Amino acid sequence: MNYLLHIFIMINIYIILTVSTNLLVGMANLLSMGQAAFYGIGAYIAVLCLMILKLPLIPTILLVMVVTALFSLLVAYPSLRLKGDYFVLATLGFQLIVFTILYNWVSLTRGPYGIPGIPAPKLFGMIEISGIIPFLILSSILMLIIVFIFYKLVHSPFGRVLKGVRDDEIAVLSLGRNVTAIKIWAFVISSAFIGIAGIIYATYVSYIDPTSFNLDEAIFILAAVLIGGTGNIRGPVVGAIFVVVLPELLRFVGFPDSVAANLRQIVYGLALIILMMYRPQGIAGEYRLQ
Amino acid sequence: MLIQLLANGIIMGSIYSLVALGFALVYNTTRIFHIAYAAIYMFSSYMVLTFYKSFQMPLLLAFLIAIVLTVALSIFIERTVYLPLAKKRSSLNVVLISSIGVMIVVVNAIAMFYGNETQILNPNISKSITLGNIILTYIQLAQIFISLALIVIFLIFLKNSKFGIKTRAMRDDEVLCTVFGLNIYRMRLNLFGLSAFFAAIGSGLVAYDVGMDPYVGMPMLLNSVVALIIGGVGRFEAPILGGFIIGILQSLAVWAFSSRWQDAVTFTLLIIFLLVRPQGLLGEKQRVV
Repeated sequence: MNYLLHIFIMINIYIILTVSTNLLVGMANLLSMGQAAFYGIGAYIAVLCLMILKLPLIPTILLVMVVTALFSLLVAYPSLRLKGDYFVLATLGFQLIVFTILYNWVSLTRGPYGIPGIPAPKLFGMIEISGIIPFLILSSILMLIIVFIFYKLVHSPFGRVLKGVRDDEIAVLSLGRNVTAIKIWAFVISSAFIGIAGIIYATYVSYIDPTSFNLDEAIFILAAVLIGGTGNIRGPVVGAIFVVVLPELLRFVGFPDSVAANLRQIVYGLALIILMMYRPQGIAGEYRLQ
Repeated sequence: MLIQLLANGIIMGSIYSLVALGFALVYNTTRIFHIAYAAIYMFSSYMVLTFYKSFQMPLLLAFLIAIVLTVALSIFIERTVYLPLAKKRSSLNVVLISSIGVMIVVVNAIAMFYGNETQILNPNISKSITLGNIILTYIQLAQIFISLALIVIFLIFLKNSKFGIKTRAMRDDEVLCTVFGLNIYRMRLNLFGLSAFFAAIGSGLVAYDVGMDPYVGMPMLLNSVVALIIGGVGRFEAPILGGFIIGILQSLAVWAFSSRWQDAVTFTLLIIFLLVRPQGLLGEKQRVV
């Protein structure tokens, strides 16, 4: 039973990651390879808030959102001047730099040793959230709130302008909109919510180390979004469920664990190739990647 | 110590240059962001391992077979993935994502068969020669001489041969090449083959020195990309210059901080170039916005 609950919690975390990343990839056609960096920054800032500052959960969430948003500004402003491959490269460079810092600045992050014993977060300073069922409730609530926010955002005037920028930047520019500001907002909002996924991950697993937030993870998040589909809310949700549930299914089919890890990666890779060839909008998306 | 590190940096730089040249051959002409190049690079090392260790062939023969198979893999990827996408006029982002897919498939297939651990080709400590303050192993000498020779031959061919002229024409305008009756599909085949050839040589030379694991391709690819960007996209001399700069800078990073900060130095350099001089050192000013 706990196994099933664990899968649900992981699905919640990945839905937050993919729905937020979709705001960049599917709504603004900005292929960011740096999303795992914000996930990691969120997790490490959460550890700072909970272990050293001893903050309750809600201030932690707010602080993490502010800090990841500031970091995203640092990336967004310079990299949005670049287009296409150059933008991908800039975000990839940021991802690798953040990973190297998390990994090598041992006096700050304990580097490869990781940080064990992350305490359970406290709600309103008294209700301690520990154990798998409270975590499932907490992560589900946060996931539903975030999905709701993004649903509203996609259908808001901001969402429509963002889609306009994606489909025809010059047209939006000629209507007097500040295209750069719109993209920066998309970047900041996306990263701030990804930080929340970092908090849930860090407190749920109660141990973090930099390898959870490396380039492979960034590619994995991007793959989840693209497999599920881009441009709406349904797509990324399907993608998150697909990438979390698939390895568990493979396990039931009876592949040994050593092979299963590689086999599921192969399935993701093939899924990406086939989808890009025949269905660039993903399984349930609506935007065909340009 | 500094001179020794500089020498190592230059030798590593020659490998980066060679591998980056292979990446540039594809990127400059087709604009495909060939991430699967990482897998092609890694695949070659494993083929050398298979034929040299498992089938007990002589090293040179194992090398040759590995090169042939690597070129075949590259051409297979071009024909089954990139060419169909190009015929569909897919956008560059779509091609990039497919390339990531190919990389994931090949890397994990190799990891499945050979395991994740590091494998070595040459268990002995290589013989070395001493030049003044510098100690160089025979493998290092082979690395720099073979890569420099190939780079020079390639540059001469690029200037003078028919293939070189076609390559440069394709870089300048692919559509115009088609108009003049150049067989683009065939050219792409040659370019993918040649790029895999460079990757295979670089990969074999490195693997014989330090061994391999299924994930060696990605760092090499990233260094190649950075070499191309700081040299200047569109020029074929650029990745060579960039490769040497990165090699030397990384060994200076070892001298100044420690080897753990090499990647941070490389990518900080990339970001600085993207912001300040996106056309690279040799490139002409162009709009990337």
